Amino acid sequence: MPQLPAQVQQFIDALVSAPPLEGYLVVGAFLFAIGAWGALVRRNAVVIFMCVELMINGVNLTLVAFADYLPGAGGLGVSYAVLVIAIAAAEVAVGLAIVLAVFRSRRTVNVDEVTSMRG
Amino acid sequence: MQTVGQQLIITAIPALPALVFLVLTLFGRLLKENAQYVAILGVTISLVFSAFALLFVAGIVPGGGAPIEFAVNWIDLGAGGSFSMGVYIDGLAAVMLVVVSFVSLMIQLYSGAFMEGDSRFAWFYAVLNLFTASMLGLVLAPNFIQLYVFWELVGLCSYLLVGHWFEKPSARNAALKAFLVTRVGDAALFVGIIIFWATTGSTAFSDVSLAAQSGFIGGSLLTTAVILVFVGAVGKSAQFPLHVWLPDAMEGPTPVSALIHAATMVAAGVYLVARTYDIFVQSPTAMLVVAYIGGFTALMAATMALVKKDIKRVIAYSTVSQLGYMMLGLGIGNYTAGIFHLYNHAFFKALLFLCAGSIIYAMNSYNLFEMGGLRRRMPITFVVMVIAGLSLSGIIPLSGFWSKDAIVATAYEEHYYVLFAMALLTVFLTAFYIFRAIFIAFTGEPRTQEAREATESPGIMTGPMMLLAFLSIVSGWVGIPPGTFIPIPDYFAEFVHPSEFAVQTLGYEEHGFSWPLAIVSVVVALLGIGLAYALYVARPALAGTLAGRFSWLHRFLDKGWYFDALYGATFVRFAMWLGGATRGFDSKVIGGAVTGVGRGATGTGGLLQRLQSGGVQNYALFILLSVLIIGVVVGAQYAVIVVGLIVLITAAAFAVGSRL
Repeated sequence: MPQLPAQVQQFIDALVSAPPLEGYLVVGAFLFAIGAWGALVRRNAVVIFMCVELMINGVNLTLVAFADYLPGAGGLGVSYAVLVIAIAAAEVAVGLAIVLAVFRSRRTVNVDEVTSMRG
Repeated sequence: MQTVGQQLIITAIPALPALVFLVLTLFGRLLKENAQYVAILGVTISLVFSAFALLFVAGIVPGGGAPIEFAVNWIDLGAGGSFSMGVYIDGLAAVMLVVVSFVSLMIQLYSGAFMEGDSRFAWFYAVLNLFTASMLGLVLAPNFIQLYVFWELVGLCSYLLVGHWFEKPSARNAALKAFLVTRVGDAALFVGIIIFWATTGSTAFSDVSLAAQSGFIGGSLLTTAVILVFVGAVGKSAQFPLHVWLPDAMEGPTPVSALIHAATMVAAGVYLVARTYDIFVQSPTAMLVVAYIGGFTALMAATMALVKKDIKRVIAYSTVSQLGYMMLGLGIGNYTAGIFHLYNHAFFKALLFLCAGSIIYAMNSYNLFEMGGLRRRMPITFVVMVIAGLSLSGIIPLSGFWSKDAIVATAYEEHYYVLFAMALLTVFLTAFYIFRAIFIAFTGEPRTQEAREATESPGIMTGPMMLLAFLSIVSGWVGIPPGTFIPIPDYFAEFVHPSEFAVQTLGYEEHGFSWPLAIVSVVVALLGIGLAYALYVARPALAGTLAGRFSWLHRFLDKGWYFDALYGATFVRFAMWLGGATRGFDSKVIGGAVTGVGRGATGTGGLLQRLQSGGVQNYALFILLSVLIIGVVVGAQYAVIVVGLIVLITAAAFAVGSRL
């Protein structure tokens, strides 16, 4: 096996070793931010739902990461993640049903046009 | 000492009319005109029990002979003292009990016919009984607090009764005036009571007197407190300067006027002074005030009565004047004579009002100058009214003479010459005004159709009148002073006399009967009657000429010395101004503040309403912003990340906002 330059070897070591906690957290935060951005700016209700799912998964990633890196937590974060996934599924079921109902009565899924709660 | 049964009888004296009041209030609509029988039954038993109390105190009932005294604890303040409700009956109270219940009975008999067909007949009787109950309770009171409670009840009842025909605006105003003017006195009385309580720690009459004797209260403070109590009596007894309500109170039904004037309302003031006499005598200044207020009121009211055209107002001013006599008698130290006059006055004044009521019943008019020639149409009324008039004028040997003469003579013998002159002049004016009214109403030719067709009142009205006429003659005979040739002992003075302490403090001595003074006062009264005869029977034209010649004087007297105008321009105007200012403050300042808060809430709501766009993404944005703000507060150390996120969110907000 040829001797690789020290810098390359270092890079490979960094790649194959377990990533630090911060890495997961940054990825989770980005997932969350992208989801939030999308949820705020997209008009299509279905897309908004997808963005909400992104946010949820960002949080899930954070939970799992913490569960792995903080032994004191006793793996509680993992069970929370499972709970969140279950609830997200239920939420999507209800949400899509609402979207469907709105679509039936208004022929649109554009949230900007659904403002009947205006005060 | 009295037994429990006897105590129950005494308690029943005021309790029975109060019970009648309850029954009539609850069942008045069912009973209708039968209410009078319930009322008369109640007050008759009260009268019998009052007579029992009188006999007990006089020592005729076995075991009696001493004042009746018992009490129960009412409010216990622990270390702060206690207030009791009780009974104290000496000779004074016993006489008052009998007078009040007797006059009340006569008036309730008479009212049955007078008020027939009235729409609130049962209610009238109910309040009449509450009135009687309050006065009887006042008479029994052994302390200031209990007296004050009944004192206010008496005021309330007079308000209700004067305003009985409240459909008439004048009756409403008169009731209000009676209530408000007497309230001035009531407030003063209450302040006086508080001073006594604060300085002596007791409200019982006897305790306050003893405390004053031993120096707990004295000097100018005692004089102030006593004069405040006297102002209460001035209000109730319609003395100068609070007399203005009594003539207006004539708006009430005539039997009510009779009750107010003879036995209940106005007698309360004189009774209060007599009841607290032991306290009054300790302040010579206060006694002088009582005497001069009384003497002045007697003269002033008599002049006002001279020119009145309304028969009831003539008699009303006469009451003010006679009450002045009573105060004068008490003020100059002749306690017995003052109370004796109250007792005699009750009968002949009730009778005068019932006579006036009888005329009003017959011809439905108060105006003297619509009457005339009633002597032949209403002979019984005429005769009893002349008897009452003679008694009021103080003609020997009718009842009014004995008490009035005692007061006038005492004024002379105690060297109050100014008061004596006032009193003697009042005797003359009294005889003149009452016989002026009698001559105008009963002699000459009828002036109107009603007067020509007037008929005598029914027996239920004339019966009480004749009984009262009999008493107007003989009631004074129980108090004939020693020194006359009449062999009747002076029972009254034996029974109603000031305490030893009061006599010693005043240094007052009985003077006995003086024939020269008696002859002078009777001659003066006869002169008054003679002048009335000359002006209104012999030469009727002369009265009109005189009134025309002295029209300014006539108007001055007819307007009651312009007291109403004076009070109207000062107190009433000030009160109205104060009321207007308060109302303005209420509507502008307080109302404005309330409206302002409401408007502010509405305005803020209108502004915040715009945030409720209905767009779900807006709401999500607000949630995110709020979380960020919390994040800024909590996690200030990650400022860079937070600022980045804020920039991100703001950009998002603009992106959303540009589309909305």
